[in-house]
Amino acid sequence: MENLDYARLQMAFTLGFHIIFACIGMVMPFFMVVSHYKYLKTRNPVYKKLTKSWLKGVAIFFVTGAVSGTALSFELGMLWPEFMKHAGPIIGMPFSLEGAAFFVEAIALGFYLYGWDKLPEKFHWFTGVIIGISGVASGILVVSANGWMNAPSGFDYINGEFTNIDPVKAFLNPAWFTQALHMTLAAFVATSFGVAGIHAYQIYKNRNVDLHLKAFKITIIIGTVAAFLQPISGDISAKDVAVRQPVKLAALEAHFETKKGAPLYIGGIVDVEKQTVTHKIAIPKALSFLAFGDFNAEVKGLNDFPKEEHPPVAIVHYAFQIMVGLGVALMLAGIVYLVSLKKKNWQKNKYYWLLFVVMAPLGFVAIEAGWVVTEVGRQPWIIHQIMLTKDAVTPMPGMKYSFFFYLFLYTLLAITVTWLMHRQIKSLNQNPN
Amino acid sequence: MLYVVLFFLLFSLLLYVMLGGADFGAGIVELFASKKNRSHTRDIIYRVIGPVWEANHIWLIIMLVILWVAFPAYFNIMVIYLHIPLTLVLLGITIRGVAFVFRHYDAVIDRSQFWYNWLFRIGSFVTPVFLGLSFSALIGGKIITMEEYAGSSFYDFFINPWFNLFGLLVGLFYAALCAFLAATLLIGESDGMEKSHFSRSSAIFTIMLVVLGFVLLTYGYIYEIKFVRDFIENPIAILCVVLSGILLLPLWKFIRQQRRIASRYMAGIQVILILFAAIVTHFPYFIITADQEISLLDNIAPESTITNLGWMLIIGGTVILPGLFHLMKSFKMIKVLEKP
Ligand code: HDD
Ligand code: HEM
Ligand code: HEM
Repeated sequence: MENLDYARLQMAFTLGFHIIFACIGMVMPFFMVVSHYKYLKTRNPVYKKLTKSWLKGVAIFFVTGAVSGTALSFELGMLWPEFMKHAGPIIGMPFSLEGAAFFVEAIALGFYLYGWDKLPEKFHWFTGVIIGISGVASGILVVSANGWMNAPSGFDYINGEFTNIDPVKAFLNPAWFTQALHMTLAAFVATSFGVAGIHAYQIYKNRNVDLHLKAFKITIIIGTVAAFLQPISGDISAKDVAVRQPVKLAALEAHFETKKGAPLYIGGIVDVEKQTVTHKIAIPKALSFLAFGDFNAEVKGLNDFPKEEHPPVAIVHYAFQIMVGLGVALMLAGIVYLVSLKKKNWQKNKYYWLLFVVMAPLGFVAIEAGWVVTEVGRQPWIIHQIMLTKDAVTPMPGMKYSFFFYLFLYTLLAITVTWLMHRQIKSLNQNPN
Repeated sequence: MLYVVLFFLLFSLLLYVMLGGADFGAGIVELFASKKNRSHTRDIIYRVIGPVWEANHIWLIIMLVILWVAFPAYFNIMVIYLHIPLTLVLLGITIRGVAFVFRHYDAVIDRSQFWYNWLFRIGSFVTPVFLGLSFSALIGGKIITMEEYAGSSFYDFFINPWFNLFGLLVGLFYAALCAFLAATLLIGESDGMEKSHFSRSSAIFTIMLVVLGFVLLTYGYIYEIKFVRDFIENPIAILCVVLSGILLLPLWKFIRQQRRIASRYMAGIQVILILFAAIVTHFPYFIITADQEISLLDNIAPESTITNLGWMLIIGGTVILPGLFHLMKSFKMIKVLEKP
């Protein structure tokens, strides 16, 4: 593999790592605040215990998110110097606002972590709310920067020069809203089901059930709501992609020939050479409808675009299938929860809890898959239709070693964090109250 | 607006050097403490630095964002030719950051604490050294740009600029500065035995700082490092250094009299003086390559970007600074404000 490939792998790996911690850092504070609120209302010590143990989790995840994010801010430049040289001044606005959001988050976290029994109760609780809000704000802001890469705007591109820069327009690029909405919901889905699954496992094992039931309830309700909204937002995203990046849409669907009333493929094995998709379920006219809201609309196929502008079709298609499939699965799990509110005896069934244990990692898998769709689907461009990824990469050779270095460091970190979480839960069960 | 942006750049640099530095320094003080002093150092660090360490490090991110948004050409050279030392900085930041949190938030206290402690201490020491190395590479006059020397090797481009004795000296100098700041800060947070430990540390690191500074200037002068020569020949820079040397005397007096507020002011002023001296020498030419000097202000971002960034920083600043201030005050970080 070439230098460029390793640089891309490193970017993908480090971003894929960061996003997990970023999502948890965005959403866990909300759980914490809800539980804390219940404690302030009921004075039930179980809620206090739950809040404090979630808090420790937040602290551990937060630092991992913060250090990997710091690395990313350097990496954007270190791996893609040519990109940052031109893009930096254009998309500076979300990044500078993000800096402010991080600060607010860090300050609020300082208050919250160290403020127990020191600050007035309500103010202390409120600093927790601020952590959550500023976390979500930073997520939305970075995603807006990513949206700009998909829908570059706010400048004129003349003879290879970027002129007439309008940072506000670049910030509010056509992709920012759909992407930010979808990402924020995704963070809620994934983290809620993730945390709910961990507590479901404890209930399954019959440990400290009182506490874990409370935790499960808080998280699964939030998760279910988000899981219902997610496909709606995904549909908005798809319609947006259809207009903004028709090649990407064609790749998502492995749609080779331009057609009116195009069918939607579910599953299937893609053969890029032969331009066929086998072993699929085809729903007639559904793709035209999903993309344009009209059963007979024309959907452009990959063959309408020059070959060198095709993204890796198979990867994008599989990733898209995985994301949508998991989205549907998580929504069904939400339905199971809603039904169990009526049919109380379901909750006595071991398999009920096992189901949520199985669901725990799926939201995160869907997030990774979704990012593969967005990022790999944008290839070969780093800035859609403006700059090629290969023109942006660092001239320094030896990215291979850099990639393996990060692989080693982050794998070690991931193992340690998992092990620490395991210890948190164990200690939670060992000393009830 | 360019001045607003420059102000925030220098302001975040200063705060990162001081607050981030005190943070690193706390780990260095712990590293060099005797076995019996380590555990109280650990507890005090948690109490004093814990609530703010996260915020302290965001100054680095703000600095970085300002650089890439407003000064893209400058940032470009930095990230290409300093790839390796910056990676080492990131490694250090990662290790000490996670080790700090792990050692205080691990639910079970057992032998793994041994690892967290050592990773934290060593990470705290090597990170400022690497930061110093990176800075020295920018001003060391050894960077050669690829357009001009197509024939050079990987070593010439990516290793030689930072892998040298000058870089190491700059790194150690910054590490000593960090330790000096931390020790001086910690004196005011302790009493009895602990206080005398930190007073001793503060004195030792001050001496180290002076010695290293002297060696650094001598070495740079003898080996004709342009930045150092210009530094020595610049009357304002020399005035700052002499002033900061003279201010050591009142600093020691305040430490002995246990006037923690005055001693913190003194330590802060000294850092500002040293930083000011370094900046004034070469402003705005902060990259010195083998055959040219590159200005921070060359090829800056267009006016619309600078204006936008300036406003964002002003708005961000008005939201953040009061909050940060309140945080530090609530946890009694700013003893300066108390009546002595
Ligand atoms: C829990 C995670 C999750 C789930 C269940 C879904 N998605 Fe998603 N999707 C993401 C997580 C995600 C993501 C990781 O957050 C992405 C990557 C970039 C982005 O903005 O969101 C994404 C991107 C993304 C894109 C590309 C947007 C672009 O390139 O601008 C489309 C078209 C969809 N999604 C559509 C869907 C549909 C139709 C779903 C139906 C169930 C769905 N997603 C479920
Ligand atoms: C879609 C992608 C991303 C999302 C949703 C996201 C979101 C977040 C969130 C919520 C945090 C807060 C940390 C926490 O609570 O754990 C965070 C941290 C951070 N992120 Fe990201 N991020 C993304 C990608 C990036 C990228 C591409 C960069 C680099 C340019 C970056 C830089 C950072 C930095 C520097 C921090 C640390 C801030 C601190 O010290 O608190 N992030 N991110
Ligand atoms: C955190 C969620 C994200 C994930 C998991 C992710 C994933 C990926 C992947 C898989 C690639 C490699 C694509 C390829 O080379 O085929 C990539 C590339 C890249 N991403 Fe993202 N991405 C995320 C968010 C972002 C954000 C928020 C930004 C910018 C602000 C960003 C900027 C880039 C850049 C500059 C590249 C390299 C150039 C390219 O390959 O096009 N990414 N990312």
